[in-house]
Amino acid sequence: MNRKRTIVVTAAFLLLALTMGFAATGCGSGAQAKKVVRVGFLRNDLHQLAYYVAREKGFFAEQGLDIREGGTFSAGPEEMSAFSAGDLDVGYVGVAPAITFASQGMADVKVVAQANTNGSSILVRPGLDAQDVAGLRGFTVAIPGISTVQDYLLRTALLKAGVDPADVKEVVVKPPEMLPALSAAQVDAAVVWEPYPSMAAAQGAGRVLINSSRIWPNHPCCMVVADASFIQKNPDTVKRFVAAHVQATKYIQDNPAEAADMAHLFTGQDAAVAKSAMKNIKFSYTPDVKAIARYVDFMKQAGVVKDKNPSAFTKGLVDTEFLPGGGS
Amino acid sequence: MRKWKIISPLAALALWQVLASAGVLGRGTPSPVQVVKGLYTLIATGLPPGYHLQGHLIASLGRVFTGFAIAVVIAIPVGVLMGYANVFKAVMDPLVEIVRPVPPLAWLPLAVVWFGIGLGSAAFIIFLGAFFPVVLNTISGVKSVDPHLVEAARTLGARDRTILARVMVPGALPSIFTGLRIGMGIAWMTLIAAELVGVKNGYGLGYMIMAARDFARNDLLVAGIVVIGLVGFLVDWLIRLAERRLLRWR
Repeated sequence: MNRKRTIVVTAAFLLLALTMGFAATGCGSGAQAKKVVRVGFLRNDLHQLAYYVAREKGFFAEQGLDIREGGTFSAGPEEMSAFSAGDLDVGYVGVAPAITFASQGMADVKVVAQANTNGSSILVRPGLDAQDVAGLRGFTVAIPGISTVQDYLLRTALLKAGVDPADVKEVVVKPPEMLPALSAAQVDAAVVWEPYPSMAAAQGAGRVLINSSRIWPNHPCCMVVADASFIQKNPDTVKRFVAAHVQATKYIQDNPAEAADMAHLFTGQDAAVAKSAMKNIKFSYTPDVKAIARYVDFMKQAGVVKDKNPSAFTKGLVDTEFLPGGGS
Repeated sequence: MRKWKIISPLAALALWQVLASAGVLGRGTPSPVQVVKGLYTLIATGLPPGYHLQGHLIASLGRVFTGFAIAVVIAIPVGVLMGYANVFKAVMDPLVEIVRPVPPLAWLPLAVVWFGIGLGSAAFIIFLGAFFPVVLNTISGVKSVDPHLVEAARTLGARDRTILARVMVPGALPSIFTGLRIGMGIAWMTLIAAELVGVKNGYGLGYMIMAARDFARNDLLVAGIVVIGLVGFLVDWLIRLAERRLLRWR
């Protein structure tokens, strides 16, 4: 009897020592035991701040994840192409490219969490005395792309103000060129995501006419998407990733001042610009399926999403089971 | 010999179709049949819908020819002077050699401020791309003119101006044409990228390709690539035709 007990106790001690040994070398040789996740995100996009916060605050590490930067992209379609190529496991990306690529069968991804809502604005150029959205009638407005969330926001705002969208001339201008185009009066207005509205205000390149939270409150914007086969093979890893993302999102909500400083470090934006931009963005992690379906419906009308029932498609795209209390 | 020329493109097309149908080219790589259908969509429906291929083609050709024409009108006289007058070459060389290696697209943000979006900035970027090959080839063309010919002309009492117009420029023409062909090639390449930032009238081949990318429609994207390739080929063929006509005396 005694001998048996000794063996059990010794075995328990050995196990404990082994575990502690692994824990102690967690940053070094033990790293192989961590789960590798290849993450993509957009450069200069404040909406995706939770990624940076989770990384810098060690939330990913706490979840036992080894985050490898799979790529920094300047535009959503490029990031989605990296999903097509199988180079990414998880990505922070705009809801529009995620829907477009999923519906065209170019990338098999699921939305597993939300990064933010709101965070866009309609800007007018210096010298244009439009006081409200109705004042845009007859003018030229720059949009970042046809059927983007911003395109839809502009149309929604115009309709709400009683303006036929056909009475406004839309031109596609990529966001980095929007501010020069505004200050040179090449376009009269622009609809774009942060930090461009705050940059425009700081540089005197334009003035905010209306924030998107007043056009469509809590409209979907950036999402956390994961490769479908990665989810299938590593559901636990995805759950951990989402947990770290949720923790980071809450951290941003609870510490706005520190989050603004981190936003400044993440994007290299001027601290004052970052601070102003952060006020326009709402960080929340649970995607609103109905709101996304509303946008998918618009994309279907624009011919970008084809042969799909918008709400059925959206239900298939969004997978909330990894969120706290999800899967019900 | 002529019929042998079509064998390699046809074989490439057949191989492409087989590989695409077998699904080994990766997600989102269209097959030739899909590309042909895409071409039809570009012509009939347009991309974005309502903006037809014809309009994109005209807009892009307009931008290329504006930028290219300005480049040629400035580059040939500058090149001839630099090849002929050593002092002028010494003065201009540092400037040319510093600006030349800068990729034209690096100027894009400034071009937007100076010339707006659309024709102005695109033409400026194309000008920068086309200018230097024409200048350099003009210089080397002038330098390659047989000095004996210049001497002979001078002995016969020709003045500098006559020598330039009657001896230097004709002698340099073959090399100038090489410069024009290279410059036009670069002009096309820069055009596409110059339009990626956006265009004011909603037309342009580069802009069309960007829309195809945004819509995740690689069939339309490749159809756009085919159109650009074919138009580039046609333009080059026209320059070679002009070259053959002008240089018949050789």
